[in-house]
Amino acid sequence: MSARTEVLIVYKILERKEIAMRNVWFKVHAPHVVKMLQPGQFVIVRAFESGERIPLTPVMWDKEEGWIGLIVFTRGKTTLQINTELKEGDYFLNVAGPLGNPAPMKRYGKILAIGLYTGIVEVFPIAKAWQEMGNEVHTLQVTFEPMILLKDELEKAVSKHTAVGVPIDSEKSSPENMKNVTTKAREVVRNMIKDLKPDLVFMVGPVGDQKAIFEVVREFNVPMLVDLHPIMVDGTGMCGACRVTVGGKVRFACVDGPTFNAYEVDFDELIKRSGYYRDLEMRAMQEYMQKLQGGAQ
Amino acid sequence: MMAKRKLIKNRVPTPERPAYERIKDFEEVNLGYDFELAKKEAERCLQCPENYAPCIKGCLVNINIPAFITRIKEGDIRGALEVIWACNSLPAITGRVCPQEDQCEGVCVMGKVGDAINIGKLERFVADYAREKGIDDELLMEIIPKIKKKEQKIAVIGAGPAGLTCAAELAKMGYKVTVFEALHYPGGVLVYGIPEFRLPKEIVKKELKKLELLGVEIKTDHIVGRTVTIPELIEEYDAVFISTGAGTPKLPEVPGINLNGIYSANEFLTRVNLMKAYKFPEYDTPIKVGKKTIVIGAGNTAMDAARTALRLGSEVTIAYRRGEEDMTARIEEIEHAKEEGVKFMFFVNPIEFIGDEEGKVKAVKLMKMKPLDEKDSRGKRKITPTGETITVETDTVVIAIGQVPNKIIRKTTPGLNVTEKGTIVVNENLMTSIPGVFAGGDAIRGEATVILAMGDGRKAAKAIHEYLQLRDKFISPNEKS
Repeated sequence: MSARTEVLIVYKILERKEIAMRNVWFKVHAPHVVKMLQPGQFVIVRAFESGERIPLTPVMWDKEEGWIGLIVFTRGKTTLQINTELKEGDYFLNVAGPLGNPAPMKRYGKILAIGLYTGIVEVFPIAKAWQEMGNEVHTLQVTFEPMILLKDELEKAVSKHTAVGVPIDSEKSSPENMKNVTTKAREVVRNMIKDLKPDLVFMVGPVGDQKAIFEVVREFNVPMLVDLHPIMVDGTGMCGACRVTVGGKVRFACVDGPTFNAYEVDFDELIKRSGYYRDLEMRAMQEYMQKLQGGAQ
Repeated sequence: MMAKRKLIKNRVPTPERPAYERIKDFEEVNLGYDFELAKKEAERCLQCPENYAPCIKGCLVNINIPAFITRIKEGDIRGALEVIWACNSLPAITGRVCPQEDQCEGVCVMGKVGDAINIGKLERFVADYAREKGIDDELLMEIIPKIKKKEQKIAVIGAGPAGLTCAAELAKMGYKVTVFEALHYPGGVLVYGIPEFRLPKEIVKKELKKLELLGVEIKTDHIVGRTVTIPELIEEYDAVFISTGAGTPKLPEVPGINLNGIYSANEFLTRVNLMKAYKFPEYDTPIKVGKKTIVIGAGNTAMDAARTALRLGSEVTIAYRRGEEDMTARIEEIEHAKEEGVKFMFFVNPIEFIGDEEGKVKAVKLMKMKPLDEKDSRGKRKITPTGETITVETDTVVIAIGQVPNKIIRKTTPGLNVTEKGTIVVNENLMTSIPGVFAGGDAIRGEATVILAMGDGRKAAKAIHEYLQLRDKFISPNEKS
C-alpha cells in the first residue's frame, strides 16, 4: 500500500553504532516525532512485521534535522533482533510518539538523578534540562563495567556525573550478578544522599531496583520521583496493560505517567506484573538464538 | 400478468462452518450466500414501496433496501452495489457487524408472518461478490475521473469506521484528505477489536485500498494531541473531523483488578488481532490464556473476547450482571458463542479478584444480583445486589464492560467542550465548540456501533462541505461583485 510505504521511508536509520556491551545507538529519521518531543517522553517502536510494539525513550534529538537518538539495550528477543539485524540505512517500520507526559520541569534545587543500567538513557535528557533551568544536578549510573554509557555527555551536561561499574565475568546478566549491581547502587546512593543532601531524587531502572533504591531514599525522607516502565502494547491509553497502582488508584503509565511519586507507587504489584510474560519471553529468545545459530552454520 | 406470489416464510439459510471445526482456527464462521442462494433469498422480499418500506427507515443510513434486493433478484449486482454505495461505502463490513435484528430486519414486514428477509447477509453478498469479481473497482474507476478536485484540505483524526467513511465521502467530493492514525495500521476497532473470524482483515485492507485510489493520505504513528495538536491542524487544514472513538477501557474498581491474568478486552483483543499473539512465537507479542477464562460483560466485545479465548484453548464463561434477555450483543454473536460452547452466568457482578502468591488471578468473587420491576433510562430492568456471593475459580479474566473516550485529545485541545463522561459535545451538524472542527462516532456517543459511526462520518462530510462553501462565500470579498 502506498499510504504505508510513504511512512516506511520516514524512519531511516542514519547511524548505527555499538556504544557499550549490549547497547546499540540508532540515529533515526523521525521528523514528526521530534517536533513536540520533550524530556521524559517516549516513543513506541516496531521494527519487524512480526515484531512487538516496544516503548523506548529517545536520549537526544535534533528538531531541525528531524532525528531522534535511541539506545537499544538487548534484554529480550525483540531488542536482540533489532540490535542484530538492523543496520545503517535500514528502516524501522514504525516510530510513534511522542508519548507520555513530559518530565516535570521545576526548580527543585539540588537533584540526584539515578539511572541503573540503560535507565541512564532516560535520565540524560531530563537531567540536562533540569540543569539548564538552574537546578544543581548530580547524575549517577550504576551498571556492569562494560555497560557504562553517556559518561562524557553527562559530565558536560550536569554539575557532576558519577559512573560506577560493577565487574562481571561473563556476558550474562545473571541474577547473582545483578544483585551485585543493586547492592552497589544502594551503597553509593546512601553515601551520595548523606553527602549531597539532595532536594529531590529521580530514578530510572528495573522496577525491582527502583524499589530497592526507594527503600534507601525513604530512610532520609527525601522526595523521590520514578519513571515507570510497565509492559505496554499500544502506549496511547487504549489497552491498560501498563496499569499501576499509585496512591491507591489504578493509573495507566502511558497516559498518566511515566513519572510518578515513588512514595505512592505499589512497587510489589508492578514487579509481579512486569514478570508475567518472562517464560514466554525466554522461549521467544531461545527460538531466535537457535535460528541465529542455524543461520550461521 | 404476474402470477400470484407465494410467501416463503423461512429464510434461505447461510452456510456456516460447524462449531467443532471453526473453534480450532480464526477463519470466518459464516460463509455467506452464493449467487443462487442470494437470489433465492431476494425472491422472498415483498418489495414494499420506497415511501413506506420500514426497512429503509430502520436502517441508520437509510439504504434503499428494496431497490438493492430487486437488483439482486435481477442478477444485477453492480446495480445493487450502486444503490448501497449511495448511502454506505463499507457494505462488506456493515453486512457483517450491524445489529440488523434491531434495525432493518427488526421492522421487516416479512418478519410478521415468518422470518424477516436476511438483509444483512444480502448486503454482505453484494459487497463480497462485487469485490471478488472486481465490480467495485470498476465502479470506483468510473467515479474517480468525474471527481472535481478542490483545493481545501481536511484533517481526519482516527482511521476507524467514522474516520474512514468521512474521508471517503470527502475525497469523492474532491477534497484533499489526510487521515491521522495513532496505531501502526489503519482501521481502528475493525482491526484491533473485531476478530478475524467475524470480520476478515482482508476486507478492511480492500476498503483501505479504495481510499488510496480516492487519493486519501493516511498517516499512521500520529497521535493527535501528542505528535500534532488540533490547534496546529486548524492552522494547516480547512476543517478537522475528530473520530477518535472510545478507546479507553472501563475497569471495575474492585480489589485485585491489577492481578496478572486480568486483561481489558481491548488489551486482549489487540494482542490477538492486531499483534497476532495467537501466532506466538512466530509473532513476538505474547498472550497468556489458561484453562478457565471468565469474561465480564455481554456485549459484542465480550462475545468476541469469549470466542477468541475459546480458540486459544480455554474453557470460557461469560459472567453478566443482568439477565439473558438484557445482553447487548448481536443475536448472531450470542448464538455462535453458545454453539461453540461458551457458558453463561447471569445476574452476577465481580466484587473482588483473588490472586495467588505470585500475583496471578486464581478466583473471582461474584455478587449475585436480582432484577427489579423498575426499568432504567435505557428500558432495561434495574438490578440490585442480593448480598449473596459466589466464588468461581479462574486463571484468565477479560473485562468487557465498555469503553470511554481517550483523554489525550481533550487534554490538549483548549476550547473543546466535552461532557462529564469525556464525550465531545457537538451541534446538530456535528460541529464542536471550535468552529471548523467536527466530531462523530464513539468520540461523541461514548460507545455505540460501527454503523452509527459510519453514519456520523457521512453526515460530517456533508456538514463540512456545507460549512466550507458558506465560509468561503463570506471570506472571499469578490464573490458577489
